This record gives sequence, structure tokens and C-alpha cells, in this order.
Amino acid sequence: MSTALTPLTAPTEARLQDIGSAEILVGIPSYNNADTVGHVVRAVSVGLAKHFPGHRAVLVNSDGGSSDETPAIVARTAIDFQHLFIGDQQSVLHRIVTPYHGIPGKGSAFRTIFEIARRLRAKACAVVDADLRSISPEWIELLLRPIMEEGYDYVAPYYLRHKYDGTITNSLAYPLTRALYGQRVRQPIGGEFGFSGALAAHYLDQHVWESEVARFGIDIWMTTEAIASGARVCQSFLGAKIHNPKDPAADLSAMLMQVMGALFALMEQHECLWSRQEGSQPVPLFGFPYEVGVEPVHVNVERMVSHYRQGLADLEPIWRQILADDTFSQLRDLQGISGTDCRIPDELWVQVVYDAAIAYRKRIMPREHLLKALTPLYLGRTASFVYATQGLTSTEAEKKIEALCHTFERMKSYLVERWQPLTLQPATPALLHNTTTDAGGDHG
Amino acid sequence: MDNFINQALLAPLELLGRQMLTVLPNVLAMGIILLGGLFTAWVLGFFSERLFRVIGFDHLCDRLGMNAALLRGGVKTDPSRIVGRSIYWTVMVLASIAALGALNLTPINQFAQSLLAYVPHLVTAAVILLAGYFLSNFVSRAVLIAAVNAGLPPARLIATCSRWGIQALAGAMALEQLGIAQHIVVVGFGITWGGIMLAGAIAFGLGASDLAKGFLERRLVTRSKSSDVDDLHHW
Repeated sequence: MSTALTPLTAPTEARLQDIGSAEILVGIPSYNNADTVGHVVRAVSVGLAKHFPGHRAVLVNSDGGSSDETPAIVARTAIDFQHLFIGDQQSVLHRIVTPYHGIPGKGSAFRTIFEIARRLRAKACAVVDADLRSISPEWIELLLRPIMEEGYDYVAPYYLRHKYDGTITNSLAYPLTRALYGQRVRQPIGGEFGFSGALAAHYLDQHVWESEVARFGIDIWMTTEAIASGARVCQSFLGAKIHNPKDPAADLSAMLMQVMGALFALMEQHECLWSRQEGSQPVPLFGFPYEVGVEPVHVNVERMVSHYRQGLADLEPIWRQILADDTFSQLRDLQGISGTDCRIPDELWVQVVYDAAIAYRKRIMPREHLLKALTPLYLGRTASFVYATQGLTSTEAEKKIEALCHTFERMKSYLVERWQPLTLQPATPALLHNTTTDAGGDHG
Repeated sequence: MDNFINQALLAPLELLGRQMLTVLPNVLAMGIILLGGLFTAWVLGFFSERLFRVIGFDHLCDRLGMNAALLRGGVKTDPSRIVGRSIYWTVMVLASIAALGALNLTPINQFAQSLLAYVPHLVTAAVILLAGYFLSNFVSRAVLIAAVNAGLPPARLIATCSRWGIQALAGAMALEQLGIAQHIVVVGFGITWGGIMLAGAIAFGLGASDLAKGFLERRLVTRSKSSDVDDLHHW
């Protein structure tokens, strides 16, 4: 454990001296979000004034060197509380606008937010993305109240999404996290989170801030680390999530590499924890779930299948190295099948993911190559999911995802048998609590 | 008569004997150096092979694709054995040069010195070739994956070209290091790139203008059309 302080700028240090302490902190990591950050700041300010009027609160913008006016907009955005029926604004919302130090990336921005939370001895914190268009003041309540009043340490978001929105979450991040750690956190890489001050301090003490986590993969790292540390985890229903595209410059293989790389790296770190875990538990959900029509998503399935077929033809030697013989031969058998019948079934996809995790651990090739070589396979699987859910409602599509999760859980022994632990250590003791969650429920 | 025997027969024999007596210690020294070198080469070769085997060098080479490359080249010996034998023969060659030097004969000394002076070039050339091999494997795999992910149909061709391009560059640099072809890198690449550009221009401009047009249309026009209609959010 490290208790070294994260460096902050001199104006930020001075601002912290002025503020002294706070009960609530809301962080907004940003980079060139001038067109949306004003709305996010307004939503946060109104949310705090409306739902937590008597608490000392701080809004922190951790900026990655925006070339537009993002920090200036955060600093000057004004809110007309009268028009929002908030007449009694008991506590002034302090704002800290600061650049972050370290490796460029969302992780480093979060590190600065965690450090400020520690210095201010904040009890409850939340982070929201600066590119959100659908954030409302209620999001702030839903992310903070489970921590303030229910004793939870970590609040994951629960969104309404189109059945084809968030396919990396649906086919990989959610089923794998659930099968490994036994917690059904539906949006483990959501982007908006609530967490306790104690958990923020725990995050800061981890030696990950010079690694890839500081750049990418902070979302899945936060969720996994919360579960692994024994934090009490819950979810809050936030409704639909509409935001600007993640990063126009980032291609799919880079995104997939971030998520898969973080998932596999965390598997190495927490092998003693997940290798003993069987089944999964539901995670409590706060908020009022409802259904609305979400924006339609057009999918070019033919192009995805074409990418998959090209991968099958051109990446054969690499896939042979990554995948088990049986897995590869099943994939090769699909080569002769034409049209919509060429699908990667659940069992085969699970084998692919588990084989890739094992190959990642064994370092059979540079890890970046391994992760990027899986892109056509992921596209093939996504195309299969689209074929399988065409004409289905979101609820029916969700059942398909549930079936995939059960397959991940059922086939976990396949992973455990092949993983071959390097050292057998006792299970990681809970850092925050003695129980993982207080959620009861069935074991899948 | 006695004089004749002394001058014509005994004197040369005496001279030969004296010369032999002068050279004999050197010959003995050469033998000792050779024997010592043989022993040292055997010990170093044997233990280095064992050491490399213990630290998993064969496994590492397997991961790097070296074993497959050796098999493709008809070499069935494992990498640890190859390293062991290489060390053995390196020590033997050095011991032989030192042994020849022990004879203290001017032409042999000159030969040994020039051979020794050449050794750093040999080592550098070997390192260049080895680094070129690893780099070409790494780059060609990265290029292949990137090209497939970008949906480029000639992905394998591009990857193969990158592999052979790097290996050819490494080969040319190694030859230059050995002093075999001092300007081969500059001239060779000037000719190669010039040839490629000219061939491409002629092929696309004269021989296959329709093909070039069709190819560019397929790559640029259809791609931009299809990317417009796909709004899947993977994250």
C-alpha cells in the first residue's frame, strides 16, 4: 500500500486549503468537451442543490489539456435555481478546475479526483463523463444516495440501451465479470459511478497509476477492484444514456484492446479470488426502472461477417497460437457455412474468450498483437448476436445475453482447469468489509 | 672430405635442429593452447547449453517463432543446442587463432591479426541479422493484424512484403558490415524502390488503368458509403 500523495497544481492546493473539507464530491473528467460540459455542470449543480441541499459539496473538473474552452465553461457556467424551483440553496457549491498530471488518459484524470476527495475527506463521491447529453439532476441523487444513506461503497450505473448498443459490454465485459467475480453488475464499464471516500482512498493506494489503467480501462478496473476489495456494490437505474461518440479517433480494435486487456490483466491480479468463485449473485438496483423507446441502431452485419471471414482466412496462424485446437477447429468448420448460418454460438464464444485469457497470461505473443487479433472474432460474434436477435424486443434480447452469461458461468471450469496458477495464495482478504455484497439471491 | 661433410650435410642438419629447437616451445605452446581451448570450448558449450535449457530458452524461442523458422530451414536441433554449439565453435576458432599466434611466424601472425580484427564485424553482422529477423516477425504480424482489422483484402501480401523488406534491409546491412558490398544498402534500395514505383506507375497507368479505377472506387467510394450507414456503438 502506498500513501504517497498525488501531485496537484499550486492553485488547486490553495483552493483545497480554502475549502478545507467536504462531504460530497462530484468529478468530471474532460478533454475537449466544450459543447456538452456546460449541460453536465448544470445537471450536477442542480442535482446537488435539489437532493443534497445541506451538505458541503465540491465539483471537480479534471481536464486533460483541452484546446477548446472546456475548463472555462466549467468555471463560468451559471445556474438559475429560481426557475428550477430551488429557492433554498443552503450550501454553496465549490468548484475546482484543475489539469491532471501523469500519463494522458481518463485514469489519470480520475486519480486527481480521488486525491482531491482524500484531501477533502469526502464521504461520498461520484464521477460523470463530460460528454453526456442525457444526464439529469436525478443521476446525482441516484449515484450518491446509496452511499450517503444506505452504506454502499460503489454504485454502478444501469442504463436503458438499445439491444445493439454497448456490444462489448453485452458480449464480453458483463458476462465475463459476472462469471469471474460472481456479481451481476450489468454495466461494469458504464462511465458514471458513485463511490465512498474510503473506496477512493483504496483506489489511490493501488500501484496502477503508471500502467495502462491510467490511460485506458479505468472503468472496468474500478468495478473489478471494488468487488475484489470487498466493497458493498449496488446499481442505480439512470434511464437512457445519450452521449457524444467515445473517441472518434479510436478504432474498434483499440477499444477492444482496452477492455479485454484490462479484464485479462485483472484476472491475473485476482486469480485467487475468481478461481474459487462459483455462480453469481444479483446486485441490488436502486431507482425506478422504466422502458422508453431508444434511438434505433443500424447495423451493417454483412461487413462484420466479411471482417470475420477475412480474419479466419488471414489470421489463421495467429489464431492457432491463441486458441485451443478444439476451439480453432470449430471456428474453421464455420468457414464453409454461408450466409446467416455462419454464427459463433455461445459455447464457442466463451471458449474463445477463455482461451484468449489463458494465452494472454502465458504471453505467447506480444499482448497488443494478441488482443488486436481478436477483433474479427468479436465482430463475428456480434454479427451472430445480431442475427439471433433480429426482430426481438430489447427484453427478449436481454434474455439472450442472460443465456450467454449462464454459459460463461457453466463453462468456467474450462478456464480454471487450463489457467494453471503460478502460486497458490490465500484468498484476498476484504479491504473494506467482510462481505462482498449484502445481496442475497440464487447461484446460477 | 670432412670439411664437405661438415659444411654440406651436418651444417644444414644442425641449422634445422637449431630451428626446430627454437620452434619447438612454440609448437608445444600451440598444442597446449589448442588442448586448453578444446577443453574450455567443451565446458562452456556444455554448460551454456544446460543453462539455456534450464532458463526456458527453447520455450521462449518457440513463442517467438524461432523453432518454426528453424524447422522451415531444415534445422531440427533445438535452440539451446545451437547456442551451445555456437559457443563451442566460437571458443575453438578463437583458441585456434591464439594457437597459430603462438607459433610466432610473421605471415601466420598477420593472418591471425586480420582474422581477429574481422571478428567484431562478424558478430555485428550476426546481431543485425538476428535483430532483423525478430523485427521482421514482429512488424509483419502487426501489419497483418492491422490490415485485417482495416478490412484490406491484400493483408497477407502487405504483411509478407513488410517481412521480406525488413529482412532484405537487415541482410544488406549485414553484408555492408562484412565489407562485402559497401554501398549495397543505398544502391539496392534505390534500385528496388525506383523499380517498384516505376512498375506500379506503368501497370496502373498503362496496363491496368481500368483495374486501378475499379480498385480505387471499391476501396474509397463503397467504404465511405457503407461506413455512413453503420452506427453501432460497441462500447
